Amino acid sequence: MNGGVTTPGRLSAALGLLCAVLAGLSLLVGSAGAGLPGGAAGGLILWQIRLPRTALALLVGGGLGLSGAVLQGGLRNPLADPGLLGISGCAVLGAVLAFYWGAAQRFAPALPLAGLAGAGLGGALLLGFAGRAPSGPSLILAGVALSALAAALLALALTLAPNPFALAEITVWLMGSLEDRSLLHLALAAPPVLLGCAVLLGLGRGLDALSLGEATAASLGVPAARTLRLAALGTALAVGAGAAVAGGIGFVGLVVPHLLRPLLGQRPGALLAASLPAGAALLLAADLLVRLAPLALPLNQEPRLGVLTALLGAPFLVAIARRAAP
Amino acid sequence: MRPGTRPGTHPAMRAIALLLALAAPARAAERVVSLNLCTDQMLVLLAPEKVAGLTPLARDPALSYVAAQAAGLPVVRPSAEAVLGRRPDLVLATSFAAQTTLALLEQSGLTVLRVGLPADFPVIRAQTRHLAAALGVAERGEALIARMDATLALAAPRLPPVRAVLWGARGYAAGPGTLGDAVLRAAGLEDAGAGGRLDLEALVAHPPDLLVVPTAPRFPSLATALLDHPATSGITRVAIPPALLICGGPFTARAVRLLAEPPGR
Repeated sequence: MNGGVTTPGRLSAALGLLCAVLAGLSLLVGSAGAGLPGGAAGGLILWQIRLPRTALALLVGGGLGLSGAVLQGGLRNPLADPGLLGISGCAVLGAVLAFYWGAAQRFAPALPLAGLAGAGLGGALLLGFAGRAPSGPSLILAGVALSALAAALLALALTLAPNPFALAEITVWLMGSLEDRSLLHLALAAPPVLLGCAVLLGLGRGLDALSLGEATAASLGVPAARTLRLAALGTALAVGAGAAVAGGIGFVGLVVPHLLRPLLGQRPGALLAASLPAGAALLLAADLLVRLAPLALPLNQEPRLGVLTALLGAPFLVAIARRAAP
Repeated sequence: MRPGTRPGTHPAMRAIALLLALAAPARAAERVVSLNLCTDQMLVLLAPEKVAGLTPLARDPALSYVAAQAAGLPVVRPSAEAVLGRRPDLVLATSFAAQTTLALLEQSGLTVLRVGLPADFPVIRAQTRHLAAALGVAERGEALIARMDATLALAAPRLPPVRAVLWGARGYAAGPGTLGDAVLRAAGLEDAGAGGRLDLEALVAHPPDLLVVPTAPRFPSLATALLDHPATSGITRVAIPPALLICGGPFTARAVRLLAEPPGR
């Protein structure tokens, strides 16, 4: 059951190094051209445009990767992912309500707080359901239903929003984007995401115990209910604030644990530490490609970030399905 | 729909209706419905007493220069059924309007006057005269033009030249052939925009002397939030009410005036 080819510590260090390399590259790529931005405005472009974008990609990706690993372990379902289960969708819905009706304009932290509230509500609904019907397929069905409901309410909210541009912005919220985010967005998203990651990283033992069954977990002194509650709280923090500034980016949380299992084995607790830098590196790499696309191809704007993660993630999902088939 | 309200379905009847419409001064319209924000504003400025219906947008102060007056005038949803219900004798629309709606209205015997969207001041003058004639209020049209020209005459070229960029929602910049370009040049500024999307990094890398943006709306959007990105805070900026720039009309001269004498100078 275990049989990893490397240790979580070594792999995390390697992935951390990859993140650092990607972050360095990320500061060199933008619509003003590849390379360090020169001229009088070079510093401004570097620190006020490229730095917040790079840091947000790392944060949001790390939060998604880690919560994917926790959800797949805690719900004992290889398809669990904040996007697929509708938690990201609920976060986006909360953020959209706070943004287009002016609450975030009057009080900036309302944006991540509303994202948190949406994600928390979505997570609570889902875990409430999981508690009563813990079988895998029914949980995924409930998640798909929640996700569809959140998308429908998002479209409705944007249709009714008082600003005429709102409806055109649905792709940003559904597919996600980090274009032209500022240091303010970083400051708003970073504290909840980091706090959420701290909560989730502490769940390793609880998840390992849970993988032996709920009765065994209780006998080991880590009751399943407590682990799942903390997982929901941590996911809401790690995903909610990220989705509030970056939209609903899918597939990162789904893919990351599957990429790590061949290296670290099946024990859910072993995946946590590495899934944070893996998610961060994956999303930053995707965001780099999104920014390189208009430099290399005749596009007058960049593709949405979620378009790329879905293009990469969907074939991956098919591969999982094929491997799972007898 | 009652059968009696569609006399113009016969081709000959439609031809007669068209001839009557062309001979506008002889029989000016009395009940007019407008199907576009731009024609809404012209109609309210020229003949508010003839309004049988405006678009709901005409009442939005963020979009419409005549929002205050439009609040007391009837609005109608721009659908064929709703318009027919108002029994207008003239319908104003732009050439870009929903052609299915206009075709239905014309089949029902209504006269539809299609106008373009002016992108400079000579065209605004011509369109104001054209609509004033169709509404039978030629002298009001001339008065609006005279006031517009008096406002425009106050602006003079700046020395040394001031390079300005008009940067709108989603980062679209004014450029040659746009109304924004005509406004900047009429204000004595040099239009440094090239049209199309002007990316945040590109703007910051080559900052203009003056950044002209629409006034922040009461309710935000990502499209307009971009214009407040902190990286642009070092560029001198002037905010112009978007209602002055969405449609070209006599009121567009006020945008020129705001630019020619920006606050704090």
